[in-house]
Amino acid sequence: MGRTRLCDRFPPLNWSLFFGELVSGLTLGSIYALIALGYTMVYGILKLLNFAHGDVYMVGAFLGFFVLQWLGGPLTPEVNGWLAIALMFAVAMLGCGALGVGIERFAYRPLRNAPRIAPLISALGVSIFLQNTALLLWGPQFRDYDTFDLIGVKSYSIGKNFFISNLQILAIAASIGLMIVLALLVSRTRVGKAMRATSFDRDAAEMMGISVDRVIAFTFFVGSALAAAGGVMFGIVFGQIYSLMGFTAGLKGFTAAVVGGIGSIPGAMLGGFLIGLAEAFSTGYLPGGSTYANLYVFALLIAMFLIRPSGLLGSPAIQKV
Amino acid sequence: MRKFVEAAALAAGLAALTTAAWGSSNGSSKIDSPASNASAVVKCGKTRSIGLMAPFTGPAASIGINQVHWANYYRSTYNKTHKTKIKFVNEDTMLGSANGTAEAVKGAQALGSNAKVLGVVGPAGSNEVKATTGALKGAGLGWVSGSATNTTITTDGVRKGYFFRTVPPDSSQSKSVSGYIVKTLKLKRVYIIDDQEAYSTGLADEVQGQLKAKGVSVGRDGVSQQQSDFSAIINKIPRNTQLVYLPWQLPPKGKAFGQQMKTLGRANVKLMGSDGLFDPLFSGLGSNVYDSFFPVNPADKRVKAFKKLHGGNSELFGAPSYVATQVVAGAIDRACKNGTATRAEVRKQIKKTNILVKTSLLGLPIKFNKDGDMVKRPFGIYHSVKGVFVRVA
Repeated sequence: MGRTRLCDRFPPLNWSLFFGELVSGLTLGSIYALIALGYTMVYGILKLLNFAHGDVYMVGAFLGFFVLQWLGGPLTPEVNGWLAIALMFAVAMLGCGALGVGIERFAYRPLRNAPRIAPLISALGVSIFLQNTALLLWGPQFRDYDTFDLIGVKSYSIGKNFFISNLQILAIAASIGLMIVLALLVSRTRVGKAMRATSFDRDAAEMMGISVDRVIAFTFFVGSALAAAGGVMFGIVFGQIYSLMGFTAGLKGFTAAVVGGIGSIPGAMLGGFLIGLAEAFSTGYLPGGSTYANLYVFALLIAMFLIRPSGLLGSPAIQKV
Repeated sequence: MRKFVEAAALAAGLAALTTAAWGSSNGSSKIDSPASNASAVVKCGKTRSIGLMAPFTGPAASIGINQVHWANYYRSTYNKTHKTKIKFVNEDTMLGSANGTAEAVKGAQALGSNAKVLGVVGPAGSNEVKATTGALKGAGLGWVSGSATNTTITTDGVRKGYFFRTVPPDSSQSKSVSGYIVKTLKLKRVYIIDDQEAYSTGLADEVQGQLKAKGVSVGRDGVSQQQSDFSAIINKIPRNTQLVYLPWQLPPKGKAFGQQMKTLGRANVKLMGSDGLFDPLFSGLGSNVYDSFFPVNPADKRVKAFKKLHGGNSELFGAPSYVATQVVAGAIDRACKNGTATRAEVRKQIKKTNILVKTSLLGLPIKFNKDGDMVKRPFGIYHSVKGVFVRVA
């Protein structure tokens, strides 16, 4: 009897499943990351959990859908399919950016000096308001993006095991691109410097001549625009949108922001990808995975808190005593 | 002084109680007790009230709206062609919401307390049917569902004489599906994905059991109805799988699943849906698609007219709710022949329903057995040919 090597104890890795789940996880994670960025930016500046953010994502998805309809629909677009997609992104991002600024102006700014529970309740109120307005205006039905007809979906295979579609490539590449733009905006521009200053010490920033109100409004604009991009991307990749889609996605985005370390922009990106990968791999590998994927994802969140309460890239809050 | 105040307060309280008691005995109360309504004789008049229980909002609203549209379609055609009019008393059951079946029970209680309501259409889900039994039965109401398919809700005897349905039970559908997969398609490797709802898991369990008994290798998984990303679960389906069975309720989800199968290089795997996916959205996926459904004739002029009214969407999942409304309205008409009716008379008339095949939207006669199921309840198997379902078995 020879000794059994450790690798012999496990069945050979199913590479097809592994690569498949990796790509699925990265695709889903890129959308979560875009949502998480909005949560983390707003929290970083206002210490506010903007629970309406998931619903802004839903509005973005619908704006993209209506732009597509306005351009003639997926079957008979009046412009090139890729141009139509670019326009969908642009209009949704601008529209939701404006919506975010409006929400901040009317629902959060009047409560800026109120106890912290007040804006939180206001955020929940805005979330329910947006959900129900969407239900009222657009109904409960699913809406189809029908990207198959718009740009023609292609599947690329590398060897026998690895499949990736042009939509998955688009989602991952576009979200990474947007994250790089955001990182450059925050680290290399004047407005980015003002955002960092406001986040660090709002009163001091104001005394240094920074218009804090404008910086906060700009933060809401950028965060909401990114959520809208996530919404359009969701519609393009997964085909369907509906009025209540913001709740679960918002919850996952929030979880991603917390896992990454809320307030940290790279943390939000990392958290988004981790949550996406955790969801995909638990579906693929764990018992009852697709049924209990959310259980595994939120178990990860709890474990994260136990091991590192401030999140992966978050720094512990220092309180003056 | 204090004693005087106490005495005055006591007197005022007694006066208020006396006034309230007098008011309730002499005034007309809008809300009556369900038990008293069970035997109350109602003057039929020109307008007949039917309770309509459906998920108007909540996670299942997208399919609930199909049922509401079809029920309203029957109401509008009835109102155009009859001297008497149907009025719905709507109750939102919020199927699939966090409150579980509580909203449905509240709705059932409200209908029971409304003396004008003589019969009920709905609710949609089998769990809701179970949960509302106490309230509806206690109020003496007969109710007819157009979508609750769990096998035992008619056979357990609890709702006998009160509950009826215009859809065949899961047991009928599962036999047709498993039989077709084994005998006609001669497949050996099947993967079943339920949508984690009572309807879907019940049907999936039955098909799985029957296939296994016939020697077919069956894999099983489930996805939430809220999910739109199926890529992770598609990756998990073994590459040699010949057919994926989807007993789902949302055609857009079936479409998304099929499209994602194509994206991930699984275009050749056959897909079979249940009655919930019998829709152009699902059949449009291609010739690898099959489905099971009661024999509704898509060429029926009522289906065509409905489709025209609803932007080209036939929403056939809701078609049995049209028939359910037809059953309840017909029963009330018959019970009201002498100008008055009781809920018991309406129940009796529901039981006696006999809609001939030529006037039945479902393509089969509507007649109930002692349990409340349709006497004839065959399920057809359909194959997608050029994007349209064609009956093959």
